Amino acid sequence: MFRVMLYSQWKWSRLIVALGSIAAFALPIVSVQGAARADSNPLRAGELLQAVQAWGTLYPVLAAALGLLVAIATWAPDHRGRHVHALSLPLPRWRYVLLRFGAGGTLLAAPVIAVAAGALLATWSATIPAGLQGYPVALAIRFALAVLVAYAVFFAVSAGTARTAGIMLGLIGGVILVQIIAGVANLDLDLFGKLQIVVLNWPGPLAIFSGRWMLIDV
Amino acid sequence: MTNAIEIHQLHYRAGRAFEIKQLDLNVPLGAIYGFLGPNGSGKTTTMRLVLGLLRPLAGRITVLGDAIPANAPRVLARVGFVPEQPHLDPTLTVRETLAFQAAFYPTWDWPWAERLLRQFELQERQPFGRLSKGQKGKLMMLLALAQRPELLVLDEPTDGLDPVVRRDVLSALLDYVSQRRATVFISSHLVHELERFCDWIGVMDNGRLITEVPMERFKNGLKRLRVTGAPPTAAAAPFIILAREHANGGAETWVVRDWEPEMAAYFATIGAALNDVIDLDLEEGFVELLRTFRGPRS
Repeated sequence: MFRVMLYSQWKWSRLIVALGSIAAFALPIVSVQGAARADSNPLRAGELLQAVQAWGTLYPVLAAALGLLVAIATWAPDHRGRHVHALSLPLPRWRYVLLRFGAGGTLLAAPVIAVAAGALLATWSATIPAGLQGYPVALAIRFALAVLVAYAVFFAVSAGTARTAGIMLGLIGGVILVQIIAGVANLDLDLFGKLQIVVLNWPGPLAIFSGRWMLIDV
Repeated sequence: MTNAIEIHQLHYRAGRAFEIKQLDLNVPLGAIYGFLGPNGSGKTTTMRLVLGLLRPLAGRITVLGDAIPANAPRVLARVGFVPEQPHLDPTLTVRETLAFQAAFYPTWDWPWAERLLRQFELQERQPFGRLSKGQKGKLMMLLALAQRPELLVLDEPTDGLDPVVRRDVLSALLDYVSQRRATVFISSHLVHELERFCDWIGVMDNGRLITEVPMERFKNGLKRLRVTGAPPTAAAAPFIILAREHANGGAETWVVRDWEPEMAAYFATIGAALNDVIDLDLEEGFVELLRTFRGPRS
């Protein structure tokens, strides 16, 4: 069952996975490009950290984008068929959802491996200034977790109906409205700040996306 | 187990506009049960409830001896389903679609599937999304039959298909049914088609089952009578009057249900004369039945 589900998933997600993997492989290499030219004019530690940090902001963006797009592609065939075929298959619904989730998650292994390969290649080929170290495995693990979190969140959202999506958008709209009204009324209310702390700071569910994504660090 | 499908006091509501209320329906084991009704009468909803795709508000559904929706996965492994609209992954080819379906059904019969593939002349490398309506119809029937089901639930499986494709699809279905003694629960707008091979008939309108009888009884009991001299109200008739229309010269045409030849004597008791008894086909009977249900005219 999983094999056919994976194949079906591959047909829907192959372009996303292929492009995502290329980007994931290239990102660590591009981020230390200056350091790789060590024989001509090696970067100083500060410049290198600055470059790695600047490029590092793209890892969570890529992870979120991959999670979102693969999650959408995971449910796309069922949404198109209004879930009739899926529901008429002789297996419990939770098992079908698990198969779909597993198929999408398996395909996301490709960009994670690409990040790991790119990061290993980048740290191996670059001349890292004294006092700094490469963290290719840690970066790849963090990227894997971020991809998984993003995929799981968007998978759950995509599984819902248009009504569910409407409720979620309504909630976000409500928060924005309250914030605007609070701003106009000069009230000391920072909903976005509080929300950011709850969601993005540890142990918030999206804490993995915040902080510094450094391939090379002290 | 005498019935493949048993529905008892089923209640389901979809929004404010549509409701199935206190539905009782029984599909005998081994029968080919034709499910008739106008658009929006609740046929598709009932079929989806039978398969556990929808959850009823109240009532009991038993399919092949198992409760639905509680045991839906176990039941669905023994049921072939052709939905009203083909809902398959459009990116998968015909061959890949077969492989996908086969993975979920332990009873899947590959040699039979290959035979049907050749019989239906389907190109196995063509994606499902690019098949014509007729080819999709054939593939849906192939998928339902190749899993060797005990029960086939077919929601307008030949709707929109040309006569040639329709004949192919139905002959494959009838071949299978005659070999396996499977039960068929089929809905269709093509009343003449159902008349040819169904042995039971159920008619639904506005979320209610109007009638459920063996086909022969339904057809034999439906008559158009030419009557003269009948009083305005026909009291205590032994049959059900579906329609009563005045013709020229005091003559009337009655459309009746549950007619038996010996009931002709009834007309003498009301001082009327029965001039002619005309058989109705299923479609005429179906239309008259709906007209009566929606607003009796006599």
